[in-house]
Amino acid sequence: MKHRQRIRTITLGAIGIALFLALWELIGIRGWAGLTWPPLSTVLAFLFDPSRRPLFLRAMTASFSMIAFGYAIGLVLGLAAAALGHLVPPLRPGLDRLASIIHAIPTIALAPLFIVLLSRELTGMAIAALGVFFVIYVSATSGLAASSAAHRDLFQVFGTSRLTQLRRLDMPAALPALVSGMKYAVPAAFIGAILGEWFGSSRGLGLLMVSAMQNFQIPLLWSAVLIASTASLLIFGLMSLAERLAYERYR
Amino acid sequence: MSLVPAPVTAIHLDHISKSFTLDGGGTIAALGEVTLKIDKGEFVALLGPSGCGKSTILRLVAALEEPSTGAVTIEGRAPVELSRQHRLGVAFQDHALLPWLTIAQNVALPYQLAGKPVDKARVSALIALVGLAGFEAARPKQLSGGMRQRASIARALVLKPDVLLLDEPFGALDAVTRRQMNVELQRIWSEQRITTLLVTHAVDEALFLADRVVVMTGRPGKILKTVEVPFARPRHPDVTREPRFHELVDELTLALEPAGGHG
Amino acid sequence: MTKMLKTFVSRYWGVAGVLLFWQAWVTITGVNSIVVPHPIDVARDIVTEPGVYLSNGSQTLFLAALGLVLGMALGTLVAVLAWSSDILSGILTPLGLVFSSVPVVALIPIIARLFGYDVKTVLAIVVIISFFPAFVFTSAGLKTLPAGSDDLFRVFGASRWTRFVRLVLPSAVPNWMIAFRLAAPPAVLSAMVAEFLMGTSGLGYLFRSAASNFQTDRAFGTSVVATIISVICFGLALSAERAVLKRWT
Repeated sequence: MKHRQRIRTITLGAIGIALFLALWELIGIRGWAGLTWPPLSTVLAFLFDPSRRPLFLRAMTASFSMIAFGYAIGLVLGLAAAALGHLVPPLRPGLDRLASIIHAIPTIALAPLFIVLLSRELTGMAIAALGVFFVIYVSATSGLAASSAAHRDLFQVFGTSRLTQLRRLDMPAALPALVSGMKYAVPAAFIGAILGEWFGSSRGLGLLMVSAMQNFQIPLLWSAVLIASTASLLIFGLMSLAERLAYERYR
Repeated sequence: MSLVPAPVTAIHLDHISKSFTLDGGGTIAALGEVTLKIDKGEFVALLGPSGCGKSTILRLVAALEEPSTGAVTIEGRAPVELSRQHRLGVAFQDHALLPWLTIAQNVALPYQLAGKPVDKARVSALIALVGLAGFEAARPKQLSGGMRQRASIARALVLKPDVLLLDEPFGALDAVTRRQMNVELQRIWSEQRITTLLVTHAVDEALFLADRVVVMTGRPGKILKTVEVPFARPRHPDVTREPRFHELVDELTLALEPAGGHG
Repeated sequence: MTKMLKTFVSRYWGVAGVLLFWQAWVTITGVNSIVVPHPIDVARDIVTEPGVYLSNGSQTLFLAALGLVLGMALGTLVAVLAWSSDILSGILTPLGLVFSSVPVVALIPIIARLFGYDVKTVLAIVVIISFFPAFVFTSAGLKTLPAGSDDLFRVFGASRWTRFVRLVLPSAVPNWMIAFRLAAPPAVLSAMVAEFLMGTSGLGYLFRSAASNFQTDRAFGTSVVATIISVICFGLALSAERAVLKRWT
């Protein structure tokens, strides 16, 4: 029963995605959405044209390195803040407020601050780091609260120190929630980096999108968006696998 | 002619069996061949270890499942006809109260599911009957486990069902509360005498509540023995301290032991 | 009084710390005020010219709120449609997942080009951005029924319609509120980003013109106003969610 169900789910999902891509192609060929909607085949041909490889490679290198650094910084900061709030409980409310305000701020509003504090090139990284920070902080704090009361009592009876308890109990118990958070932080990092690049970076996929939009370079615009989306989707998919492993092992 | 009217069969399980298809494509028999007749106004308890198929029988009578072979009838009709006519009442181990409704709204829910106007007087009378007067406006999460089960029993009774189905209704409660709930249910049932099928794994609960206890064994589920309960109604809690009660408890407990099935 | 102060410090020490850091950093490094304005200058600009902020801010807020409501409605509608058919659900659910794992904000330039540089496009962008969380969360909510309730409704002989209205829809309410809370900040953000990229009107536009005219106090002022609007929206969505969850679960 379950096996058949699974085949059905996969088949229907594949049909859905195939339909979506076919519709994209059809709308482009028939021109139903005007000249600014190119068929998928045109976008792919444009994207894989060898003469444009250096252009895309340069943009990808710039954006992906900003995304990776931003993600790493956000991850470290988020984990550090969550661990701080966990070990020193009086600090928790202030950290919670700060995190939710950072989340509520439209990140574009912080761009001018980052441009002067850092540089135009690093603004994307900083915005990405903030987005990642929030997701990681929230998932890590809720994960650190996931260890059961019985286990905590057990550790207390054995006279374990707070740090040992963090290492031996709280952190393993927090892992599944944290890995879920790391998954949802992936699109956040991409959004941050692209937003930052829209704000006057001289490189990257974001810049490509904005200049293509302003200059009516329609296939270029769609190509840049497709690259960013596919990359985010791939990493998200890999993180989903890691998430499944973490849930199997630690839940 | 006898002075006692001949009993009328209410629920008839006619040579039923139930098997489920597994992941790999194999099948597992949850229920071997079972035949059972329950009279109108009779309280029958299905007693057995977990996995003996007693809940499957209840789900067949509730029209939640179809038997693989054989037939289930209630007063000569298919159970699904009764559920469509809103003539079944049910309470599960999960109280299944809707968290967004108050206790009074939860108890009144079957009227709305049946598309009938709510009889407010009956709802409040039932809430009082199960001992929840004063908690009409409370929400399920504000009540204790025992109180939630009282509400779910009231909900099962509100439409004056022809058949009452109870699937381990007190299974999640502590021993003291459970005993108390048994006493209450016995009192409520003695006033209404609805044909009732109770599924339980607790021997004393089955003996205290039922007219007849049907003992089942597992894999595949079969009826091992049937015990008529001799105590007159309404039953006082003191019944549980009588020697005859203890003898029956011992007899049924022995029957439930793995070796008992073969001995 | 001291208790109130204590609560305030314990909740806002982080925020206050960031603001102090900003002021200290400007004072110590002595950066030119054209590059980084003092917080006081920013406050002065907001107070002396409230009209500019008010008209642009209210436009952005209006577009974000309307787009959020429309996007939530559309997402809920599609989720209900998907719920009603196994095939439709099997086709749409993975697509919803794909779009929620993609940086949807990157679609803004494409949508802007498709619909043209116009205020209506800003609205369309907010609708599309709000659609995905509404669809994904409502779909999940329609499937998470309270334990045992499905069997209960069948035994009591509820019709399909009664089951939908009295069980399935109410069960989705908590998830719907989560979607609302999650979609509120991106709604404000995407409205601003769209205005910024297309240069139409609203806070995003104000931001862009201030930045290109080197009116740094105006640009930072816009940031502050946008932040306040967004934080208020988020706060409202959060308290709405809490109020509903308290009553609903």
